[in-house]
Amino acid sequence: MTEVKEKKVEDIKKEAESLKCPVQRSLYYIKEFLAGPMCGRCFPCEMGTYEAKIRLENLVEGNGTDEDIEALRRIMKYMLTASMCMKGKNTARFVLEWLGLEEFNAHTKGECPQMECRGLIRYRIIPELCIMCGECKKVCRFNAILGEERKPFQSGFLPFEIRQRRCTSCGECIKVCPTKAIILESKAVFEAMMVKR
Amino acid sequence: MSNNVNITINGKTFQVPEGMNLIEAAELCGIHIPNLCYIKGMRGIGACRLCLVEIEGQKGPVIACTTKVKDGMVVKTETDEIRDIRKFVIDLIVSMHPLDCMTCTKAGVCRLQDYAYGFEIKESSFTRKRFGFSPDEANPFIKRDPDYCILCGRCVRICKAQDTNVLEFMGRGVGAKVTTAADRPLQESGCTFCGSCIDVCPVNAILEADRWRKGREWDYERVNSTCLLCGGACDIVVSTMDGRVMKINAGAPEASHERYICAYGRFGYDAIESHGRIRTPMLRIDGELREVSWEEALRHVAELLKKAGKDTGFITTGSILNEDALMFKNFASKVVKTKNIDSTVSLYGDRDTLLSPVAQIDEADLIITAGINPSQWTRALASIDAIIRKKVKGGAKLIVISSEDIPLSGIAHVKLTGNEVGFLKAITKALIDKGLSKDKALTKLTEDAQVTEAILKASELIEASKAPLILSSPSLYGAAANLSLIKGKAVSVSLEANAKGVILMGLVPSGLSIKDMAKGGLRVLYVVGDVPINMRPNVETLIYQGTYMTDLARSADVVLPVASYLETSGTIVDYLGRLKKVTKAIDTDMPSHRDVFRHIAKLMKAELKLPKEAEIKRLVKLPSKNKPSAFEKKEGMDIDARRFIESINAPIINNSRLLWLKEAGVMV
Repeated sequence: MTEVKEKKVEDIKKEAESLKCPVQRSLYYIKEFLAGPMCGRCFPCEMGTYEAKIRLENLVEGNGTDEDIEALRRIMKYMLTASMCMKGKNTARFVLEWLGLEEFNAHTKGECPQMECRGLIRYRIIPELCIMCGECKKVCRFNAILGEERKPFQSGFLPFEIRQRRCTSCGECIKVCPTKAIILESKAVFEAMMVKR
Repeated sequence: MSNNVNITINGKTFQVPEGMNLIEAAELCGIHIPNLCYIKGMRGIGACRLCLVEIEGQKGPVIACTTKVKDGMVVKTETDEIRDIRKFVIDLIVSMHPLDCMTCTKAGVCRLQDYAYGFEIKESSFTRKRFGFSPDEANPFIKRDPDYCILCGRCVRICKAQDTNVLEFMGRGVGAKVTTAADRPLQESGCTFCGSCIDVCPVNAILEADRWRKGREWDYERVNSTCLLCGGACDIVVSTMDGRVMKINAGAPEASHERYICAYGRFGYDAIESHGRIRTPMLRIDGELREVSWEEALRHVAELLKKAGKDTGFITTGSILNEDALMFKNFASKVVKTKNIDSTVSLYGDRDTLLSPVAQIDEADLIITAGINPSQWTRALASIDAIIRKKVKGGAKLIVISSEDIPLSGIAHVKLTGNEVGFLKAITKALIDKGLSKDKALTKLTEDAQVTEAILKASELIEASKAPLILSSPSLYGAAANLSLIKGKAVSVSLEANAKGVILMGLVPSGLSIKDMAKGGLRVLYVVGDVPINMRPNVETLIYQGTYMTDLARSADVVLPVASYLETSGTIVDYLGRLKKVTKAIDTDMPSHRDVFRHIAKLMKAELKLPKEAEIKRLVKLPSKNKPSAFEKKEGMDIDARRFIESINAPIINNSRLLWLKEAGVMV
């Protein structure tokens, strides 16, 4: 058997920092931590990080409340003093650092300032800019884009639209749009738009 | 033994033994430091982090379970920060624990419940987690319900400490599960069903399989007693409710290595209420056993004994109580006036080979076994095997001397297989060569011994040891005792709980021996206790006085029922020579052996007084020192310990859930 070398918490932190949103960073970190270096030898760390993952997922999904942030603060505060080894203590230190950022709190008000958290952002196609080329539909792995490529001989057409339920915010469509017709906006703005319509 | 030091806990100064674990030291001072994963007597692992305390001079809080007390230590166990951390941990555990305390069997003795109560946690402030594991209920002894598990790991550690190695964590962190290898049911994983995991589980995750709606801890009355089912004579705690035994737990102090009981001791109590019990006196009338009144039966016995007199033989077991044994001896020799008295103890030992000086096993740092083969798996002296394995895991050394490879030699530091007497002799010689003894007699006895490399290694271990303890079979005791003249103590290990007591009370053959009597020819054979003889000896009249309807009882002419080992009080002398109390746990209409003898004596116009405590104590005199004796193996004392212990417990096995072990093919 080949031995897989365990990731170091510092390395996971570095990886996490490639994400801009502190909530995303924390979640990525905690997930990697649970999958790798978490040894499960002391209660505050093993149970605390598991709970933290649930709370962070709430925030990412847009269901987060102040309570979740409060719980995260409490978990990390006690993990810092009570966990057995440096892995747990460092985890708490990192997450506390991210928790301190204002952008973190914004999540409970329905905003992800870095536009990274799935539940708080929406992709939208601006009909005025869309030339109905169909590039986005081709790259969408989740079949989240509805619409029909425009052909000169057809009279009617089906406009391009994103099915929010299927969208995973992977961002592939934005990359291929030749007219920059696909934009990212916060869920709050998006919903306000929908009401207006 | 060790020095006391002063420590200050929460502003008060106490004196505690130096180097003691802080949790235990605080307990001594009457201060409880919360903990879930700590097992007394074992090294702390610091998993639950509940035992955090503040120690002056240390930066942050430290865990008490891995801290040893030092002189002048100033400890605070209840600061706001520590309380908050503890509450936080309990809060997390409660978030993954079912909240059904109202029907939970462990309510009242659940540590989690206690702490949740203390921290006012009605329900967790964290997200409720459920894993939906299915319980293992495939055996009649131990139920495992991982949904209740808090992952403290106490069961895993106790199982490993005993070297049974059945339980292990599957996965890690939240969502992990304590289970067997490949998640098999217990009976398919080498489990011995000793139930040590039941004793350590702080919650409802592991408990007796039949406990549902059989009362909770506060319904029970508890009695400290001793198990009489084999030579281990383990301490037990019997919990009873409404005059019925509800469960039996290990009774030795928590920190002691002796805290262990096997499946026999824990689950054999079923037999007391079984159909296998003899409930009324019976007489053989017209070839058939008929129920009769006590008066009729005893009158008949008195007549029989009066007529037979000297031509009467008495056989008993090594598990009857001292009081019964003394009464029995007086009855047989003074009232019936016969010399034919013997017990099953004679099958494997006698006065010279069984009576060894009093010893302690907890303090021994080197164990030498000679000629014994204890095993938890065959339940032959299971507790001795468990104690040795626990001690070895705890750092003690082990030398195994045996005629053939035994399971215990697998963990031995020195394994000597072959001529046991030769090995003992050679070790003694090696020690004399090292200059540890100048005894002339011993030097002469060991002249011709061969010192090999293994022997040298064994002698080095003995030299380095502070308190070696030799556990020998009675047949090798003489030779083993020679070794103890140089260093340590030698103990002759008996196969029955009160073998030593029975001899001390004077139940030694002065006429016919048990083997002679079993051959037949006597006018009256009086069997006292459930003696493992299957065939009726060829005697004119057979009187059976016991608890269970064995094959022998069925073939008897008179059957007298007596109280079982949980229904009568008295004392025994265990294999280490300690006088242990056996306490009545439940009431019964059945008399004890001594009551029966007293009544028969009265009918025979003789008076027998119930023995007094002082009289027993006077008789329990074990030799304080050994004398050099020849290096030899006594003949005629070698019996298969496993088969013997199984046969003396046959009535218990056949009349309790232990029979399942045989039926399921778990016990071979």
